[in-house]
Order: sequence, then structure tokens, then C-alpha cells
Amino acid sequence: MTIPLASAISPAADAVREVILEAFGGTIPLRVSGRGHWIDAGRPVPAKKILSLAPHSGVVDYVPGDLTITVRGGTTLREIEQIVGHERQWFPLDPYGSDDGTIGATVATGSFGPLAHGFGRARDLVLGLEFVTGDGRVVRGGGRVVKNVAGFDLVRLITGSWGTIGIVTEVTIRLYSLPPHPLTLALKVPDAPSALAQRIKSLLSAPINPLAVELLDAEVAGLVGLPCRPAILVELGGNEAAVNSQKDVIAALGGASEVFPEVWRRLRVLDDLAAGPATYPHPEPNIVLRISSLPGRVADIWNMVKKVLEPLPSARVHSSVGLGIVRCILPPSSGFETVHTLVESCPGATVVCERMPRELWPLISPSVVADKISQGIKRTFDPQGILNPCILGS
Amino acid sequence: MSNVALAEKLAVIVGDRFVLQRDGDLLVYNSDGLPGYRRKPRLAVFPGSREETVAVVRALADAGAAFVPRGAGTGLSGGALADDVVLLGLHRLKRVMSIDQENLRAVVEPGVVNLVLNKTIAPLGLLYAPDPSSEAACTIGGNLAENAGGPHCLKYGVTLNHILAITALLPNGEIMSLGNPEGEIDGYDLRGAFIGSEGCFGVALDATVRLTKKPVAVRTMLADFTSVDSAAHVTSAIIASGIIPAALEFMDEATIKVVESSVYAAGYPSDAAAVLLIEVDGNEAGVSADRDAIEKICLDGGARAVKVARTEAERGRLWQGRKKAFGAMGRMAPHLVVQDAVIPRTKLAPVLRRIAEIAAANRVTVCNVFHAGDGNLHPNIPYNADDPDESERVHRSMGEIMHACVDAGGSITGEHGVGLDKIGYIDLIFSAESLRAMCRLREVFDPDHRSNPGKVVPIHACQEWRATPAGRKSPASELVAVSAESQGV
Repeated sequence: MTIPLASAISPAADAVREVILEAFGGTIPLRVSGRGHWIDAGRPVPAKKILSLAPHSGVVDYVPGDLTITVRGGTTLREIEQIVGHERQWFPLDPYGSDDGTIGATVATGSFGPLAHGFGRARDLVLGLEFVTGDGRVVRGGGRVVKNVAGFDLVRLITGSWGTIGIVTEVTIRLYSLPPHPLTLALKVPDAPSALAQRIKSLLSAPINPLAVELLDAEVAGLVGLPCRPAILVELGGNEAAVNSQKDVIAALGGASEVFPEVWRRLRVLDDLAAGPATYPHPEPNIVLRISSLPGRVADIWNMVKKVLEPLPSARVHSSVGLGIVRCILPPSSGFETVHTLVESCPGATVVCERMPRELWPLISPSVVADKISQGIKRTFDPQGILNPCILGS
Repeated sequence: MSNVALAEKLAVIVGDRFVLQRDGDLLVYNSDGLPGYRRKPRLAVFPGSREETVAVVRALADAGAAFVPRGAGTGLSGGALADDVVLLGLHRLKRVMSIDQENLRAVVEPGVVNLVLNKTIAPLGLLYAPDPSSEAACTIGGNLAENAGGPHCLKYGVTLNHILAITALLPNGEIMSLGNPEGEIDGYDLRGAFIGSEGCFGVALDATVRLTKKPVAVRTMLADFTSVDSAAHVTSAIIASGIIPAALEFMDEATIKVVESSVYAAGYPSDAAAVLLIEVDGNEAGVSADRDAIEKICLDGGARAVKVARTEAERGRLWQGRKKAFGAMGRMAPHLVVQDAVIPRTKLAPVLRRIAEIAAANRVTVCNVFHAGDGNLHPNIPYNADDPDESERVHRSMGEIMHACVDAGGSITGEHGVGLDKIGYIDLIFSAESLRAMCRLREVFDPDHRSNPGKVVPIHACQEWRATPAGRKSPASELVAVSAESQGV
């Protein structure tokens, strides 16, 4: 008789379970960590112990022809990129931060970057996972195949739950073949704020299928190596004919030029570059928050944000326009007034904070586990409240 | 509460016409798309508006009555069958509430038929991507409950990837917004958990769906093969080449023959061992290049010919044969079972060989028509459920096929759902602990198991969650396990 894959308990889960059961018995709050690169993200966690997934890395299963890979939770994005790159494949999820972050943390935080425009977010790319609950149960959801509706969807539940209901020990993700003809274009952005909306609209409604569309302010453009003026980056991929044809469509909109693809990698590490006068050895983390709404509102929100941030020349703003997200990176010293004004200036939009000084959290972003169902889920999977307590709110 | 009293209470809300309780009236609701399963509801109620739906579910909650939400009843897992509980039909809630062309989204009620939505938005140059073969009848609410797929999900993703937000009516009658129609989800992805919950977490009162720009150019090809193995290998080769076809569908000889002898004849070559129906979309130059590349892969891989549809009518005809294949099988026998396992795409050839061996050993006819690009098999066996010997052989075959797919590293269902049909197989792929976790999740939404009771996760899996992990006593272990009585059935 074969032992079904889904019934097996990985060594990582076994080790994590040991720690949890110890913590569970003594109700020791745990800060769950991948490699610790994003440890300053999210609300402050009053944890006594760090549970690191770093020792649990590596490939569990990879058959290139299936375009899926199963890896342990502590595997870094860089390792995945290298392994699947040998087969001319990629995992098209480009969360902000370095490639030294782990897949477990990426999934747990539901992180994504500009490529979400073309490929979806973490929740769209994770096929299956193994996790350990707050009371030490090893659970699997989903599977290793690309389409699967068996059982209730624990994969979506865990993805983006910030390690508060389960610790991700193994992940199966969907891969794609590397686009044979990648091309990145930069489009000029009109100087008049009122013309921005039309520029975005004409781009999004054009007969093209970009992999990513990202609006950069002058500060960000300069930091990624482009001339210091606002620009819209468009990444294309596909066969040569498809890419060239789309390039022609974009060229017809005016003001487009080809740029080096390295801009995308530089964009991802902006958060870690000090905003404002750099201090040494390690600056305080910048304040990072995302303001999201309908794509049709992006230009308005962008203009409002830029106006609020005018007194802060070192603030950086960029936007995944097709996703309706405007992302702001502010110096750590910006203070409550600036952040509060920023949030208040975008009524009806959803504000997701990534990093903020400890004291700002309760003022800017109260608990997001506020409804009865979310609270019931937390109680069910972490009855003693030991997993990343307070990271999503109390 | 007695049946008569409950019916009277519900009739006050929806009107007498929309509460059925006579056996004859209920007959049509005894089955879904798998007519081999029959369960009789205690009564059926059909609210005509959102307000009536809320009132009905609250009345059922007050009465402690269990219910099964149902869209058009086209499901293929027995998931919408009500076994002596109330059947809650939602097909009258069929308003397309809003269409936002600029932001590519629409808000629809659960009873909107998939194809009706697509016809409504087509003049705007838009489409709703998930396209189950039952698209002409199935509803968005049912698609949401099952996380339905369809041929074009290979490129565009399944229902989960196209639902942004849901207004959910929980089994206790509370209304809750899941997801965010206008921005990001902050907190747990309850939207994601609700989609594909097969009606066990409650009812969707409306859904905000993502719309997709219609591609500028499409090429539809039919490649025919004299061997199943070649068609399977070519499928893997196309996927491995990096091209993402909009659809990549497989039909074997038995399916081709039954389609070609029906009113849905599509001009498939009747002497082929298998055909692949392949579609690519994008811009004109791109699809021409993809077509050339795919044609070469097919011919190199042993295809006799690759035919490209020259007109929209030709394309429609090629698709008609594929989409109506299930219907055409009605000519072969009165009943049909179909499975929906998914296997890794590199395992197509060996698993198809194994299926042929199982069919021969059990003397049954398997018609394979499936989403090859995803590895999502659909082995169909037409049969006569009133013949006990044949039924036994058919169900044995289905069990053996399921085991073969799981052994290959697959899942038991890719888009039809577990429902009643696959509940006996779910512990092949999930440990008892994982099933208990699913059960506990369900109980957060529906503590009494009143919404679609007895589906997806076997009841025995729910009873031991609170037992001790690794021998350690959990503080919650005193909680009463769910018993059959507390399900309200």
C-alpha cells in the first residue's frame, strides 16, 4: 500500500511541532520567523521566543515538466530562483524585500510585487502547503497538482494569515516557463496631474497583456537608475512576435523607451534603502504602507498622496496601477501627523501597513481580526494565542 | 418543526408557488448532474429576492432546520442533493447588479447563469473567464460554491481567481462581507476560504467578479493522433515549451465516436485514437507564432494532421463537440459517472494506459474527455444504474481509477467538488488531522452543520479534533464532539 503524500509529516513539521508543544504547554508566545529579513514588518509582537524556519530549507519534489515545485518553508526565494532557473522556469512572485526572504514568510504574509498584475498574488500561486497549528497539529491543505478543489481551502486561509493560525513548513507552488522575449519599457508621465488618469487609462485599456505595470515617482525612478522624473514601467513577455506587436501598441501611445530589466530588481529593495538622511550602521526601518482602491481611482489617490507628501522630499511612492495599489515609503521620522493625514486623504480606500514604528500601529491600523469568523478561526487553530500574538491586532 | 408547519412558514415569505413538498414536484430535485445518485429533499423553497433569501435562511435557523443551497443543479458530485433536508434553490436571484467596465468587475446575484453573464458583457469586449462545460445552464453561485473550472482555466485560472468579494449569508442568518470589492484583503482571506466550500459555509447573496478583456486574436486547432500515448506526450511537450494555451483539451476515440454520432457532431476524425483541441489567444502576431510552434510540436510528436479553424463558425463547431460531449453520452446509456481527478502533467501517458487496463478488466467503456493542459482527467463511464452487475463493475472501475490517480501524486477532484460522490475517497489524500482541521473550519462558519450537511468531509473526521495532539491534553478537549443529532438532520 502506498502512503499518500498528503499524509506524510515532514521533518520540518515534526521539529516545529516539538517547539509548539513545548510552548503550548507553557503558553509561551512565539514570534514565527523565516530568515528574519522582514522581522520588523507587522504590528509589534510580544513574543518570548523566536521560532525560525531557517534550518528547514531545500527542495522536497521538483519535476520540471509539471511546472510545480515543493519546497520546505525556510527555502529562500533566491534558492528557488536558482533551482528552477536551470530549467528556464521561474516563480513569478516578486515581493518587496530581498531574495533572501523565505517562501514560508512570503506565503504567510501574502506578499507580492509588480508581477501580481500578470500572475496574481501569493494566494493565486500557492497550490498546497503543510502547516503546524498553534496546538501542534500537522495539517496539509491543497496538493501538488495545478488544479484542486478537494476539501475546504486551508491554503487560502493560511496564505496571508501572518503565521497567526499555522506555521508554514512546506509549500507547493506553481511555476511558469521564463518568457522567451522579456522586454521592459518606460513611459513618460505627463507633468500635469490632471493628465495622469488619462495616461493610465489608455495604457490599461490598450490591447496588450503586460506582466507588470508600475508607476514610479521621480525619487523612485532615480533610485532604480532611471532619469529622475516620474515614469510608468511596463514589463512584457511572450514570443518575439507577441512582444514586438505589444511594443508597437505602447509606442503609439507616445513617450516609450526600452530600459534595462534590472530596474525591477532594484525596485524590490527600495524599502531597505534609507528614506531621508542615511544613518549608520543600520537605519531605523522606513514606514511602508499601501493604499488600495479601484484601478480607476489610482490617479486621484496618487495625486492626493503626492500632495500630502510634498513637504517630505525623501518620501517615495510607486503604484501597481492595474491592481489599484499606491505604495508609500516614508522616512521613519515622519510621525503620526503625516501618516494620519495620508490615510485620511484617501477616503474609502483600504490602507495596509507593512512597517511602522511601534507607537503608530494602534493609532493608524487597529486589529484586522475583528469579525466573529476571523476570531473563531484564530481560536480554533491557535487556542492559546501563542502564534505571532497581536501581529494582526489584539 | 413538522414539514407542514415549516412549509407554511416559508410560504409566508416566498409565496405558496415557491415552496414544493409533494413527491411528484420534488422528483426533479432528487438528482443533480450525476443521475446515479438520488436523494429526496424534505421540501424545496425558492426565494425570489435577496430579502426573501435572508428571511428564509433565518426562518430555517429558527427552526433548527438543515438545508442544501442549489444553483442550477448541474453539479457533478452529488453536492446539491438534499437528503431529507430543505433544498434552497437560488436560481431566481438572477440580477446582474452592476458592471464596471473601467475597473473590470461586475456584481452579480448567485442565480445568474454563467453564459448569460458572458453574453451581457460581450458587447463591451469583456468576458468572465471560468467556463464550465455546463456554462449554458450553471449559475455563478454554483460555480463559486464548487470553485468551478472549465477549459479556459488553463490560462485564466479557476473561479477562485475571478471572485474578488462576496456578500455571504451565514447559516445562522447573519450577513457578512468577505473579501474587498475595491482594494486589498487585510486579515484572513475569508473570501478564499468560502469559495469552493460547496455550500457548507453558507450562501452567497452576491459576488463581485473580475472581468477579463477579450483577446484580440484567437486560434483554435484540432490535432489528431493514432495513439493515445502520442497525444499525451504532445500535451506535456506543449506545456513544457513555455506556451500557455488558452485551452488544451483531450478527447479519446470512444468520446469522438459518441460525439460524431450525435447532433453535436463537430467534424472530428472518427478513426483517430485521440484528438487535442488547442486554443491560443493574444494579439494577432503572437497567436500566429504560437500556432506555428504548436503545430510543429504536434507533428513532431506523431499527429496525423493539425486543422486550424478558419472562421468563428468553425471554431464554434469544434468547441461544441467538446462542450456537449457529456450530453452526447446520454445516447449510450441512461446513466453516467464521471470522475475529476487531477494528475501531474508528466504522468498523463502512464495513467491513461492504466485507465484503459482498468476498463478492459472490468468490461466497461471509459470515454476520456478532459482538460489535458491541467492534468484534470474526466473519465466518463456511461452505464445502466438499474443493472446491479454493471453498476458494481462501474463503481469498482471508478475506485481503481481514483487510486491510480492518487498513486500518481494527484488529487481526487479538480473542479467538480467532493460532494457526496467523492467523500469516500477524501482520506486517500488527506490525513485524519487535516480532515479534522477542515471540519473545524467549517464549524466556525456553521457550528451545527446545518448548511449542506454530510458533504465534503466525512462526519467521523469531525469528532476527534479536540482529542489530544501527540498525547497532550488540550484545554478544549471537553467540547462536545459533533453528533448526528446536533447536525439538525
